Amino acid sequence: MKTLPAWAMLVLFVAGPLALMARVSLYEPGRGRGFYTPATWTLENYGVLVGDAVVPGIVAFTVGGALAMTALTLALAYPLALWVQGLPAQQRPLALGLIVLPKLCNVLAVLFGLRLLLPRGLTGVLMAEVYLLVPYAVVMIVAGLGRIDPVFQEAARGLGATPWLVWWRVTGPLSLPGVWAAMQLTLVWALAALLGPLLFGDPEHSTLAVEIQRQATEYHRWPRAAALAVVLLALLTVPMALVPRGREAA
Amino acid sequence: MLAGVTFAYASTPVVQDVCLHVAPGTFAVLLGASGGGKSTLLKLIGGSLRPQRGQIHLAGRDMTALPPERRNIGTVFQSYALFPHLDARANVSFGLEMRRLPRAEITARVEAMLDRVALPGEVRGRKPGELSGGQQQRVALARALVIEPDLLLLDEPLANLDRQLRDQVREELRTGTTTLMVTHDPDDALALADQVGILDAGRLVQVGSPRDIYEQPCNATVARLLGEVNLLPGGVLVRPERVRLVAGDTTVSHVFFRGSRALVRVGSILAEVEARLAPAVGERVGVEIPEGARWTMPGEQT
Repeated sequence: MKTLPAWAMLVLFVAGPLALMARVSLYEPGRGRGFYTPATWTLENYGVLVGDAVVPGIVAFTVGGALAMTALTLALAYPLALWVQGLPAQQRPLALGLIVLPKLCNVLAVLFGLRLLLPRGLTGVLMAEVYLLVPYAVVMIVAGLGRIDPVFQEAARGLGATPWLVWWRVTGPLSLPGVWAAMQLTLVWALAALLGPLLFGDPEHSTLAVEIQRQATEYHRWPRAAALAVVLLALLTVPMALVPRGREAA
Repeated sequence: MLAGVTFAYASTPVVQDVCLHVAPGTFAVLLGASGGGKSTLLKLIGGSLRPQRGQIHLAGRDMTALPPERRNIGTVFQSYALFPHLDARANVSFGLEMRRLPRAEITARVEAMLDRVALPGEVRGRKPGELSGGQQQRVALARALVIEPDLLLLDEPLANLDRQLRDQVREELRTGTTTLMVTHDPDDALALADQVGILDAGRLVQVGSPRDIYEQPCNATVARLLGEVNLLPGGVLVRPERVRLVAGDTTVSHVFFRGSRALVRVGSILAEVEARLAPAVGERVGVEIPEGARWTMPGEQT
């Protein structure tokens, strides 16, 4: 059997569904006769972005929350990554394994467990999402630190730098590309946050992802859900389009 | 000065009982094959490794227990290890900034040092990735020298340069600062050193002037490290350039042309002659070994 060319896979599984979603977002709502009205064209589903009482707040919370989650995640992941990288080489896989271990458990099981420990409300939302994001960020920052030739640290020490100054002047700056990559990825995941806000948040802590699933599965307003999904997708392209930093140094 | 320095990874000794004294202001070279313990020895002196036994003294101080940042040793690494995120000037000023010197003095000393290593003014603001190999080497040397180190360590500093550049840059490594260089290249060792030490399997097997080591190696390993050899029965060494070609009846089996000189294999003997006088493969010649050309190696006596 001939294998499918890569572009065909892209059309079949990415471009196709996306086009379908974009089309749905342009239908008129169903008005009681199905999920949408076929053969109609309208932009009214996107009107909620400005004209609605709730949606603008949801977009703002999605963006603000994602920025906060990303900042907290990196603040926790960076010291952890430094600690892992500082371990003897043969202990590093074990340490990384322990950090990634919760990811082997089903995310719903983990979060229902966390519901017993974490407070409800904004704090709970942030803590739950950060809990889910930190392992990925650690892995990416450790990968970045691992690419730094240890001879730079040796050279800096020899030139008179104490271990702290070695980090401040050499290791830190050289680790920025890894931190930047972790930041991009974390931001993408955080913008699409669903389970944390859904399980820990009050109604005012709804993200776009929460609102999309509510519109699609509770209110059966597919055009509006599709429109919000297009908006979320547009938001996701922002961190993805950020130019990787420090490439010229490599 | 090293006294009985020993270092082992797990239970495998890498450096064994090395004693070496480098006189102030002189240039010493440690010559050895790869894996002979050269890099480990440099790390021990630089302080990124601690010896299990022995002591390291520098400028009258015992620094066996001192961390690297308090040793005042300048190092030029084989890869140069220039900080990729800093330009040439910032690389050179790094060590002075760590010493918290006034900004004006740092600037003056950095420029003076870059003048001394002849780094063109227009490239001083460039990152290492935008410098040529020779320029990187100069920046690395300047960075190591600007801190006025008590000892300059050179780790195969010429290994990454092409032949032409090497001959040009080599002399610049003699800076007047007490220097210890490690290399596997006998040309570099013999051309630069006041004193050569031969490191073999973690042991310092011979120390002497380049001429002494070349002409009177203590064993076959040392002899081979420094150049082509003829080993005769009884541990007798004859360097190919001491062998004379005369009339005879032995067939020339190989001729290795090397520009001005040529190596000629006649039977089991290798002779080095002026290239334009070299016989052709297949010609019949004889060899003559003058009495003074034989050196009986003490380490090969059984």
